[in-house]
Amino acid sequence: MATSTYLSSPIVTVNAVDLSDQCTAATVKKGFAALDATAFGDTATKQTAGLQENEVTLELFWSFAATETYATLKNLVGSTTNVTVKATSAATSATNPLFTLTGGFLAEMSPVYTVGELSTCTATFTGGTGTYAES
Amino acid sequence: MYVVVSPRVGTPGEPFEPAEGVNVQALLDAGFIAEKNAPKRARTEQEPDKE
Repeated sequence: MATSTYLSSPIVTVNAVDLSDQCTAATVKKGFAALDATAFGDTATKQTAGLQENEVTLELFWSFAATETYATLKNLVGSTTNVTVKATSAATSATNPLFTLTGGFLAEMSPVYTVGELSTCTATFTGGTGTYAES
Repeated sequence: MYVVVSPRVGTPGEPFEPAEGVNVQALLDAGFIAEKNAPKRARTEQEPDKE
């Protein structure tokens, strides 16, 4: 039977600040660089894991209000911080793991202003160590 | 020592212990947390040595 994660109350924090009520989407990438390890005698290419390559992209509503999106991100541009994403607000478990990107780099802050729409901002944190905690 | 100011980072008034990797200065600058000065020690004067 197919199963999926229904996002009813996900939790997203940036630099320990809970931005769940400003976030509409989170993309979490956890992986490794694929290093070519093909050698003489091999009949097909083969790869081995290199360094971790992790990334978290958040779609956020943009707000200049105190302790909102702008206040959270403005001092993080050009530096590294922690980002966490969890599918639901329930306790961390094997079926509700907490992903933590430690040392993710925020290269830019790029709000989008469109007439007649709520302003948004995409924040992409690259690099750093990515771990899933199940307890 | 830091104390929570904004409910976005915890319960206001409670101590804030930053995890490794958290940019504390960014939180201070934006007013999410504040520095809490350690309680001053009561000043006690030493009694002069009795001869």
